[in-house]
Amino acid sequence: MRDLHSRSVRGAPYSMLFANLRCAALTVLLSSCSADLPVQREAQQAEEGVLAAPYSIVCVIHGDGDYLYHDTRGNEYKADEEALAGAKRVAMRNSRAEVFIFHQKPRKHFLFFFPLQDGEFYYYRNGRLIANELYWRDQGQSHFDPEVGLYRRFRSDDQREMVNLFLYCGHQIPEFGGAGYDASYPGRAFTVHDLARGLDGFTRHSARFDLMVLSTCFGSTPYTIGALGSFVRYIIASPDNLHLSYFDLHALERLDLSLRDGDVQAFAKKFARLAFDRLTKDIQTAVSVAVYDVDRVQGFLQSVRDVYDHTLTALQVETPAIATIERCDCADLPAYVLPTMNEGVDVFYRPARFGRSKHKQKHSGWECWRERGLQAATLQTAKPSPK
Amino acid sequence: MTARIAFVSIVMMLLLALQANAGGKGELQEYFSDAANKVKATNNPSEKREILNKSFQTMSKALDMVQSSPLISKDDGVGVDRLKATLQEKQDELAGSNGYVRVPDEQLNAFSDYVVQDMEQADQIITISLVTLLLIIILIVLIVK
Repeated sequence: MRDLHSRSVRGAPYSMLFANLRCAALTVLLSSCSADLPVQREAQQAEEGVLAAPYSIVCVIHGDGDYLYHDTRGNEYKADEEALAGAKRVAMRNSRAEVFIFHQKPRKHFLFFFPLQDGEFYYYRNGRLIANELYWRDQGQSHFDPEVGLYRRFRSDDQREMVNLFLYCGHQIPEFGGAGYDASYPGRAFTVHDLARGLDGFTRHSARFDLMVLSTCFGSTPYTIGALGSFVRYIIASPDNLHLSYFDLHALERLDLSLRDGDVQAFAKKFARLAFDRLTKDIQTAVSVAVYDVDRVQGFLQSVRDVYDHTLTALQVETPAIATIERCDCADLPAYVLPTMNEGVDVFYRPARFGRSKHKQKHSGWECWRERGLQAATLQTAKPSPK
Repeated sequence: MTARIAFVSIVMMLLLALQANAGGKGELQEYFSDAANKVKATNNPSEKREILNKSFQTMSKALDMVQSSPLISKDDGVGVDRLKATLQEKQDELAGSNGYVRVPDEQLNAFSDYVVQDMEQADQIITISLVTLLLIIILIVLIVK
């Protein structure tokens, strides 16, 4: 009996500790389920109609990739956080725009058992933060249903004469397979097709996006541009690796000045030029930024669709070891060298300062697959200036 | 006593999880970034070459050891193979062998940045599992010591 009593007395602090932990867990769990963060929940309706926002930006930042990078001084950066800071700056400096920012974060648990929300949404209107909510990312097939839901809930009713931009910041989006894209959901797949479905959701009741900035590595394959092009007029993407992880977003600040004339194509080229200049300043690896006029590249895409699809099918069916295939400029493969190849594409390219490809002076703007070791014997030797 | 064990176990697991989170790819990137910082800190080209060479050799040795380990999967083996090939290319370019022109002395700082940036975007690192990456890092630490 004494033993039992002393055990219960000794156990009392632990019981209290666990009771406290349970309370804390419950508090966190409940707060994580709440829809709104305690920030400026402004009277959105009051602002609507007072000052129309002629620009709309949807920015999806994939932050579940554990991608770090270093600058030339050795400072370490988290790519998604840098992109988020850039997107917020764009949102705050645009006095006549609505900006939707979706930050997709890694899955985390409180005390190993209680899942925390893995998405954060920011809505800015005319430079002011109107809403900031945590949300659950979709675990199913759609991938973007929660984001599309938030977009529809907050977007301006007056979509007339609005210039719509879409930004995706993340790592290279696979064309097939796609398992492991989310570092914290290794079994979950994400492909170009899923992003296209997301764009379909965003544009279901409105026109195509005017411009998409695909801020990932290897975003310029015929399949990728073709799949996303159904929902966008112009696309900015990188055919090769994209260092610093993401394009510089400074050009999106003050759209009322830089896009005043509504010339999206000219703006896209200016954005690409600035991003290219920023990247070439410190980067020793290859830098490539391309602008695609989606309607004008259709001829080329249709011409190469069969051959590219055949390659993708072969890669899927045969699942070759990654060591046996590599990416290459489509211009290195005869089947893609067509008169329409350069139509509707503006490329800013500078080769790597070192390595096997340092003498490659030109890029078609289209990225393909080939067997490793079949590198073209003759590399192009044009001047390294943008096309 | 059971409660104490459970509590300590939770804390230990938390610490291990944090360790695992902090490790992996980031640590591997930091390894090359540290080497680049050392290269830039000296003005002597021979020392610069030696720092770069040593960093490549240490990494290659760690990769060899990992590859012979029964713990790594076939997929990881392929990723390690490619990483080794990438490193070999860098070593060849530094030395001017296998068809490469030797990196000039005045470009060694830029070359060290190139190595960091190329490794950061190397897709073979992305395909290697966290366990294997941690194993590589542990081996590098042991080899350096």
